[in-house]
Amino acid sequence: MGCGQGRLVAPTPDREAAETLRVALSSEDASSDDGAGAAASTGTGWGTLTGRFVFVGTPPAAKQLIVDKDTAVCTAEGRKLFDQSLQVDESTGGLANVVVFARKVSRVKEREIAEEPLVFDQKVCEFLTPVFAARVGQPIDVRNSDPIGHNTNVSGTSFNQLIPAGEGTLFTPSRETGMPTMVTCNIHPWMKAYAVFREDGYVAVSSADGSFTLPDLPAGEEVELQVWHERSTGPNGALGADMPAYDWSSKGRFTVTLEADQTTNIGDIEIPASALGG
Amino acid sequence: MNLPSATACKNNQPTTTAPRLSLACLGVCCLLPILAGCGQTPAATFRPNMVESAKQRLQPEQEQQVATILEAMFGTPDNPVVLPETGLDIAKLRLAAGPVHSDIVGRKNGLFREHCSHCHGVTGDGMGPTAAFLNPYPRDYRPGWFKFKSTERADKPTHADLVTILNNGIYGTSMPSFELLGETKVDALVEYVKYLSMRGEAELSLMRYYFELDDEDEGKLPETRDFLIEEILLPVAERWQEAEDAVIEVPEMPEVDLTESIAMGKELFYGNKANCVKCHGVTALGDGQANDYDDWNKVVKQWSAELQSAHETSTSDMTSEERSEHRAWLAKSDRVLAGDALDPRTIQPRNLRQAIYRGGRRPLDLYYRIHAGINGAPMPAAAGTLSPDEIWHIVNYIRSLPYEFDGELGADRSMVARDRL
Repeated sequence: MGCGQGRLVAPTPDREAAETLRVALSSEDASSDDGAGAAASTGTGWGTLTGRFVFVGTPPAAKQLIVDKDTAVCTAEGRKLFDQSLQVDESTGGLANVVVFARKVSRVKEREIAEEPLVFDQKVCEFLTPVFAARVGQPIDVRNSDPIGHNTNVSGTSFNQLIPAGEGTLFTPSRETGMPTMVTCNIHPWMKAYAVFREDGYVAVSSADGSFTLPDLPAGEEVELQVWHERSTGPNGALGADMPAYDWSSKGRFTVTLEADQTTNIGDIEIPASALGG
Repeated sequence: MNLPSATACKNNQPTTTAPRLSLACLGVCCLLPILAGCGQTPAATFRPNMVESAKQRLQPEQEQQVATILEAMFGTPDNPVVLPETGLDIAKLRLAAGPVHSDIVGRKNGLFREHCSHCHGVTGDGMGPTAAFLNPYPRDYRPGWFKFKSTERADKPTHADLVTILNNGIYGTSMPSFELLGETKVDALVEYVKYLSMRGEAELSLMRYYFELDDEDEGKLPETRDFLIEEILLPVAERWQEAEDAVIEVPEMPEVDLTESIAMGKELFYGNKANCVKCHGVTALGDGQANDYDDWNKVVKQWSAELQSAHETSTSDMTSEERSEHRAWLAKSDRVLAGDALDPRTIQPRNLRQAIYRGGRRPLDLYYRIHAGINGAPMPAAAGTLSPDEIWHIVNYIRSLPYEFDGELGADRSMVARDRL
């Protein structure tokens, strides 16, 4: 690494603007713009959003993972492990493991936070759910169904815990993740999954056939949603799509207005291979 | 003070009657050209987090906005300022900040630049001039992760934890002890490390927030108190203030025979419950899991892999404008990777037979490491999985490892060091 050689010239702060801003930040009675971020609620009732992600083209063959630890369990009887980041349904082209969550809602329907723990299991040195979503406050039963020990490390949270063989530990997320965060096992570095936690619980992961359903969203007003896929070439994994009717942006956001007590199906959302990297 | 002027110096020949005066003259004459030179050296500046900036694809005007906001909130390396919300003590920061100099009462200032910046960098990014030659690399304070502390895994270290690190140094690394500086100076340096860390974390939040903006924000962060203080600064500052209440409660060591405790610890070490053996190896030489990265190196490692795949991504679907934008971003990112990041290195699990414990060798220190794991490192937490007694047994076993007979590593027979002689 060349020290300083070829180092980019960094931007310099605007001294005067910094001085002015400092004064503004130091004054206690600085005007606060209340509610500037939260959109005012204009609709009533609740509706359901559904749709389906479809992969267009031929999915590339999944890469084989290098398994060099605990091979007696992980690759017993010549078993091979493959990268799970792209899962396309052979018959329907459905794209699994796309995350859709509400980015901005003016109101949240009161629902109980599930007390039943969500099971997040690992078996034969693989996470059984490569992408999972939970509501903040919902307990997650991090399980290990292997005869060997694992550790589960949810980055960006306090959780990096030993999970003994055949046992489980409860983890209750206490904060939102923003975009999904990586989950790894440090003992077996090829193991990888993603988790997303949302305060309002408006989050879904597309199933094997590519479909997703988000119930109980506010109806009669615009709702903005954020879409993510592990392999997306967009910023921070944001998944863009060619859906002008919903103002689908390159930041992976779209807006939709639902009708109360109705299910609004936005249909098939086509994702070209180029949007999901090599 | 009656210092003679430079011209007076020239005309004044040294005489035996005025040796003091002539010495003073000499001093002033020699210093003047140097002082003049100093004036032209640009003032020290904080280096932006270029890796995050490139990752977030920030535009130059956005980079400048971040730099401006940070200067408003934290000042410059020569002139730190802090908002009351940080809870930081400006008097301590002044002692640590700035160029090395003595103030009007003869007190040494500029402690960070004198003692720390050559490794940790003026910005606290762990990329001072010597950084690339050290293994492990010096700590980058900006993500706000600290390894050796008495608090739960994701919590900040207490003030006392950092004082301990500065006083003891970190055995097995290039970090020396600064105990001889004395309490006041060490205290000032710890305050300054917190300041650089808060600044670094605030910078990361600001840079990441551009992605969260709506179209109508036109790529500009709001410069309101609500946003900058409530959403950016306080979440970071409060976690530092909460650290003092997050110290791990350590129960007494169980009253069992030490040999028995060691035996139980050994069983746990090799067993499927604690699983220490997976990384620290069957020999406990730290040769188990050797191809993982710590969180600091992982950032660079993953970023470089992402960049690699971006280089391989076909640009045929892009418009010519998008293509040139994409290429400019790639070119910038490559330079950032070369100039603003150190080559990622794998992390080595600790060799437990050397009796070198970076976070301290007291049984209590080892208890903390096992209970909470090591933040930023792969080492997971055992609390919740193992009982406090079980953690103590492992502590005892680990403390016995350097003295175990090394002809039979991992074998049942153990020996005390005395027997080996």
